[in-house]
Amino acid sequence: MTDPIRDEWYPVALVSQLGPEGRDTRLLGEPVRVAWQDGAIIVTSGGHTLPSQQRYGHVWACPGTPARPLFDIPEADQPGRRLVDVGLVRVKCSPLRAVENFLDIAHFPFVHTDILGAEPHTEVGKYDVAIREEVDEVWATKVHFYQPQAAKSAAGGITTEYMYRVPAPTVSILYKTCPPRPGEWDVITLFVQPLDEELCEVWPWMALFDDDTPMTDLIHFQQTIFLQDRSILENQLPHRLPLDPGMEIPTRADLTSIAYRRWLKRRGYTYGAQLVAA
Amino acid sequence: MQAERFIIRGDLAAPTFLPWVARHLHRLGLHGQTRRESDACVELLVQGPPDLIDAMEMGVSLGPIEAWVETIERFRINGLPDG
Repeated sequence: MTDPIRDEWYPVALVSQLGPEGRDTRLLGEPVRVAWQDGAIIVTSGGHTLPSQQRYGHVWACPGTPARPLFDIPEADQPGRRLVDVGLVRVKCSPLRAVENFLDIAHFPFVHTDILGAEPHTEVGKYDVAIREEVDEVWATKVHFYQPQAAKSAAGGITTEYMYRVPAPTVSILYKTCPPRPGEWDVITLFVQPLDEELCEVWPWMALFDDDTPMTDLIHFQQTIFLQDRSILENQLPHRLPLDPGMEIPTRADLTSIAYRRWLKRRGYTYGAQLVAA
Repeated sequence: MQAERFIIRGDLAAPTFLPWVARHLHRLGLHGQTRRESDACVELLVQGPPDLIDAMEMGVSLGPIEAWVETIERFRINGLPDG
């Protein structure tokens, strides 16, 4: 019988930053060690070696038996893109809250003021949300939003188009129009490692068309965004993601969050979730 | 003000579902009535501001953890029946 929580893939380390000393961390409340052994990276927990692989700059591990292959990001192999390992942000929140926050466009003008949004441009227009049955993923498309500085490479404000994709319960991928390369999408991901139900480590990663911006500036730009989110996430109540809307009154701008919660509920993914409304 | 009929389909057999819908109506300040057609179908008549009726649809689409709402069809009606 499959376990909807343990049989998922989770990020546990950044390959480029894994030194000879290895990394001691946690996954789903259990201690995990990521280490080099004979030139390969292995992940162990409780004396057992976990299934693991390296992809998108990170080490991925599965505490159970993988129910499916790791999701695909075809853009990761597209020539000309810069792959950016942003690093790690520890956030005292449910891993599901971290993903949900990433999906929330409406907060841009209020939390990322003058970077990803600005008043009075606070309205979120109509967009499409669907659970794509053929791939079992959540997709939000045709999302348009005015941004004063949509990317490090953007000069001045533009209306940016986005697509959001949730291919795994603790992973979200944002596709956004790419200012220097019309017709292509910049890819910004959020890989979330659940340390426990109310504590996670967030590993942003990007695949961009941007030949000009220094790598340190790209990393700093994304770290600034995620540090702004952290203070919001750590003060959000309830701490766990409600799968019952309870006192919340979702609006049109929350359609992606609602689709995400429905999808989690259907998959039986409840780690970091609140099942009954407070 | 607007009135609508929701046809809610899914796995709705849980006895908590109808009370949950009634509580959610109350939370949103809406007026409404529910009727169970079967374990897989519930009718909801609802009246209130259009934005809050939209919010009701979104809330019900998630519902209580014991129920699974597969689809919600919405139809405009002239008002709630008397009583």
